[in-house]
Amino acid sequence: MNIITRRNTLALGAGALAAAALPGAGYSAIPVANVEPPKMEIEKGATLRVLRPTKFVDPDETIWRQSTDKFVKATGVPVRVDFIGWEDLRPQTAVAARTGAGPDIVVGWPDDPHLYTDKILDLSELADYLGRKYGGWYFLAEKYAQKWGTKTWIAIPMGGSSGPCVYRESWVKAAGFDKIPNDLEQFLKLCQALQKINHPVGFALGNAVGDANAYCNWLLWAHGGYMVDDDGKVTLNRKQTIDALKYAKEMYPTMISGTLGWGDPSNNKAFIAGDISLTSNGVSIYYALKNDPKMAEVAADTNHAHMPAGLVGKPPESALILNAMVFKHTKFPNAAQQYLRFMMEQEQYEPWLTGCIGYWAQPLKAYAQAAVWTSDPKIAVYKDSCANEFWNGYKGPITAASGAATADYVNVHMFAAVASGSATPEDAAAEAEKRAQRYYKS
Amino acid sequence: MDVAAPALILRRRPEAGRLARLFDNKTFLICACLTPAIGLLVVFLAYPLGLGVWLAFTDTQIGGGGEYVGIENFVSLAHDPVFLKTVFQTIFYTAVATAGKFALGLWLALLLNHALPFSSIIRAIILLPWIVPTVLSAIAFWWIYDPQFSIISYVLVDRLHLLAHNIDFLGTPWHARFSLIAANIWRGIPFVAISLLAGLQTISPSLYEAAMLDGASPWQRFRFVTAPMLMPILAVVLTFSVLFTFSDFQLVYAITRGGPFDTTQLMATLAFQRGIPGGQLGEGAAIAVAMIPFLVASTLFSYFALSRRKWQQGEANE
Amino acid sequence: MSEAVAASDGPTILSSESRIRRVVTIYVPLACFLLVLLFPFYWMTITAFKPNEELLDYHQSNPFWIAHPTLANIKKLLFETDYPRWLLTTMTVAICATIISIFASVLAAYAIQRLRFRGSNYVGLAIYLAYLVPPTILFLPLAELVFQFGLYDSPLALILTYPTFLIPFCTWLLIGYFKSIPYELEECALIDGASRLQILRRITLPLAVPGLISAGIFAFTLSWNEFIYALAFISSEEKKTVPVAILTELVQGDVYQWGSLMAGSLLGSLPVAIFYSFFVEYYVSSMTGAVKE
Repeated sequence: MNIITRRNTLALGAGALAAAALPGAGYSAIPVANVEPPKMEIEKGATLRVLRPTKFVDPDETIWRQSTDKFVKATGVPVRVDFIGWEDLRPQTAVAARTGAGPDIVVGWPDDPHLYTDKILDLSELADYLGRKYGGWYFLAEKYAQKWGTKTWIAIPMGGSSGPCVYRESWVKAAGFDKIPNDLEQFLKLCQALQKINHPVGFALGNAVGDANAYCNWLLWAHGGYMVDDDGKVTLNRKQTIDALKYAKEMYPTMISGTLGWGDPSNNKAFIAGDISLTSNGVSIYYALKNDPKMAEVAADTNHAHMPAGLVGKPPESALILNAMVFKHTKFPNAAQQYLRFMMEQEQYEPWLTGCIGYWAQPLKAYAQAAVWTSDPKIAVYKDSCANEFWNGYKGPITAASGAATADYVNVHMFAAVASGSATPEDAAAEAEKRAQRYYKS
Repeated sequence: MDVAAPALILRRRPEAGRLARLFDNKTFLICACLTPAIGLLVVFLAYPLGLGVWLAFTDTQIGGGGEYVGIENFVSLAHDPVFLKTVFQTIFYTAVATAGKFALGLWLALLLNHALPFSSIIRAIILLPWIVPTVLSAIAFWWIYDPQFSIISYVLVDRLHLLAHNIDFLGTPWHARFSLIAANIWRGIPFVAISLLAGLQTISPSLYEAAMLDGASPWQRFRFVTAPMLMPILAVVLTFSVLFTFSDFQLVYAITRGGPFDTTQLMATLAFQRGIPGGQLGEGAAIAVAMIPFLVASTLFSYFALSRRKWQQGEANE
Repeated sequence: MSEAVAASDGPTILSSESRIRRVVTIYVPLACFLLVLLFPFYWMTITAFKPNEELLDYHQSNPFWIAHPTLANIKKLLFETDYPRWLLTTMTVAICATIISIFASVLAAYAIQRLRFRGSNYVGLAIYLAYLVPPTILFLPLAELVFQFGLYDSPLALILTYPTFLIPFCTWLLIGYFKSIPYELEECALIDGASRLQILRRITLPLAVPGLISAGIFAFTLSWNEFIYALAFISSEEKKTVPVAILTELVQGDVYQWGSLMAGSLLGSLPVAIFYSFFVEYYVSSMTGAVKE
C-alpha cells in the first residue's frame, strides 16, 4: 500500500491540467472563484481504474467518457472506466475494499464511504479547493461526504438525485387542485380525489432502494418523525411515527394495486403507461416521455413539485448522492485526486450536468447557475436536490449502522406492514424500533 | 474387488515402461487420480469456507476488521424475527418447489416415455427453460408478474373477464411466495423430467410385460415396477434439486429482492442483503453458515432415505 | 428407447376408444406442458421485437402480437454493446470449467469407485459435502484468494472457481455410472497385461461416454448460469459474462430496456439450445446405456 500522507509538500506539477482547466467559451456564467488548485503531482507511470454505476441516460456515459479521454490526453495517465449495474456496484465495492485490489476510484452510493472509512483516502484538501472555487458545497453533499462528527472529507460528491412528486397536471386539475398542496391533509384529499376519478396514485412499498425509501422517509419526516436522534438513539416508537403510519394507511387505498411488490422501475412503467397520476421519482420518467415523440402530449402534461412539507416546513426529501471515493490501496493517489478534480471542473462538469438533464443535481452551489436549470422550467424542482436537509437515518449519525438499517429496509417494512394491514401502527412502530436497535447498538 | 486387485497387478507385463509401472502402483494411482479434484476443492472451497465460517464468529463490518465474538451473531439471529421468518420461508419454498418439480417432472417424463412424433425435438424444447441464464428468465418472469402489465392478468381480466382486477402477483406475501415458487418450478421441471426420463428408459420392457401378464393395472404397474426402478435416479435428482432450491439466490434477487417486507426473503438473499449492502459481514456469514445444517439435514433425508437402500436394491434387480 | 415404447404401448391393441384415451391422457397434458414451458419464451421473443410504444400498450393493440415488429433491440444488442464478446467469454469460461471439472471428476470417480481403497466412501462423501456450501458465504473470502493468485478480473478466476460447485455433482454422477460397468471387463484386461491407465482410457471411459455427456451438459449449464462469482470477480466490461453484462448494460437506473433485455436473453440461450439439441438424445440415454447391458 502506497499511502502518501504529505501531499502538500509535493512539488508543483500537473501544468497540463492547469492549462486544460482554463474556462472555455460557450459555458454558462458559472461564478468561479480564483483558487489555486491543490498541488498534487501525478505519479510517474500512473494508471487509473474507475468504477461507477451504469448510466441512466446515454449522455451520462458518453460525456463521462469524453471528459475522461480529455484527462488522458492532458496528463498521459491511462484511465479505464467501468460501468456496473446500480445494485451490483455494492458487491464489487466490497470486493475492492476487502481485497485491496481492483479499481482505484469507486463512484458509489451515499452510504458507501461510511462503510469503508478505514479503507479510503482523506480527500479534504481536494474538497476544500472545489468548495472554495465553486461557491461552497450544499448541505447534503457535505453531510454525506464527511466522516460523521469530523471535518474530514472521505468522498467527493458528484451529484444528487432526489425523488419529488411527479404528476399529471390535467388529472390533478380534474381532481379539483391547481397544484400539489403543501399540506398533508390536502395532499391526502388530492390522492383520494385522483383515485375517485380513476387515476390512482402509486408509490413503491416493496424492496426498492430508491423509490420505496424516498416515499417512506417522506412519510416519516413530514410528520416530524425520525428514526434516530442526534446521539444515535432509536426514536421510532413515538407518536409522530404512529401518525405517519396512520396516514400511510389512508394513503394506501388511493394507490394502484401492487405497490407492495414494486421495485424501482415499476412506477416509471406505470406512469408512462398512464396507469398512475402521481408518484415520486427522479427525472427519469419525464426524460423518457420527453424523448419519445409519440409521448409528447403526456410529457407536456407531466410536471414536478416538491412533496408536501407537512409539519417540518422544508421539503422532507433526501437525495441519492453519487459519492466518489479513492481507495487507500491505490498506488497513484495524486492521479486519482487529479482525475476527480478534473471531472468536477466546469469544462467537464457542466456538459455532464447538462447531458444528464437534471438527473444528477450539482453538489457545488456555483453550478446552480448552469443553463440546464433554466432550459426547462419543469425540471427546476430537481435543482436543489443536494440542498435537502434530510438523509437516511435522519437525525442520527451517518455510519455503518445507518447504512445497515437502510439496507435492511427497516423503515420501508414498517410502512408496508401497516399499509397492507398486516400490522397495527403501534405494533409496527415497536417492531421497527427493535429492528433498528439491532444496528444502532453501541 | 479390493482383495483381488493387488494380486492381479503382480501379473503385469514385464516390458511396461517405468512411468506406466508407476501408474500401476495402486497407491500412487489413487493419489494421482484424486489430486485434481481434491486439490481444486481444498484450495478454492475448503480454505475460503474456513475463512467464511470464521467470519460468522466475528463482528466484522464490511469496511474493516472484526473481533471474535463467539456465537453472538447466532444468538442475535435466533432472536431476530426477520431471520426466523426467512428460515421458515426457505424451508417452505424448498419443500413446495421441490414437490412441484417432482410431481410435474415425473408426469412429464412419463408422457415423454411414450412413442411420440418429433420426440427428440420435443425433448430439446423441454430443456429450454433450464438453459436460459436464471437472471434473465427471472427478469422475464418479473415482466410476466408485473402488477400492471402482467400478460396473465391481461388474459384473465381484459379477455376472459374472469377477474375484476389484475392479480397482484408480487404485492402480497402469499402471492409473491407462490409466484416465485412457480418460477422456480418452471425452471426446474426440465432437469427433473429429462433425468427421470433417462431412468424410465433403463427399465426393462420385460418387467412390464410380466406385470401385464399378471393382470396389473396401469397404477399397479407404476407403483410396483416403475417407482422402485426409478428410485436410484430419483434419489440423485431429488438431492441435487433440494440443494439448488434451498440455496436459490438469483430468482429472488432479480424479481422481488425479498419484498414485500421480507416475506420472500430466502436465507441466501438475506445473507447477501445483510452482509454486502448492509455491511454486516459477520452477520451475513452467520446466516450463510446457518444454512449448512439445513442443507446437510435435507440431503441426508434424500440420500439415506432413498438412495442408499433403494439404489442397491435397484442394482440387485438389474 | 424403442423397447420401452414397445413395452408400454405395444401389447395394447389400438381401438378408437383407446386412441381417444391416448389423446386425452398423453397429448393434451403434453401440449399443456409445452405451452407453459414455452410461454415465457414466446413472451420474451415478442418483447424483443416489439417497439417501445407497443410494450406498455395493452388497450389499442393485442399484446400477443406485434403490429410493427422492429429489429432495433437486436441491432442495439449486437452492434452497440459488446454482446458478441460477452457471449464468447461466457462460452470460453463455461467450456473450460466444464472440461476441468469433467477431467477431475472422472479421475476422482474412477479412484473412488474402481480402485476402491480404504476410506474411499468417506472421500466420496467429502466431495459430495463440498456441494453443500452456499456460494453466498464463499464469494468474499474467495475474492481475496482470487486476488492473491493474481486472477482478479480475469476469466481464469471463473474457470478455476466454477469447478468447486461442478466437481461434486459430476463426481457423484460418474461414481454411479462407473458402478454400472462390470468389473469383469477390467479384470480381463488386467490379466491381459493392460496398465490401469490403459484400462481407464480404452475400456472404462468409452463405456461411460453417456455419463460423461450427462455430466458435461450439467456442468456447462451451471457455468452458463452462474451469477455471483461472475459479478464479484470480474470488473472490466468486456470480460463479463452474459448474465451480468446484460443486467449492467440494459438496466439503466430505474429504466429497464425490456426489449433489449429479452433479446439478450433469447440470443444468449439460442447457441446453447442448438448445442443441446445434438446432445439431448445422449443425455437421455446417458445414465441408462451401460446399465442396460
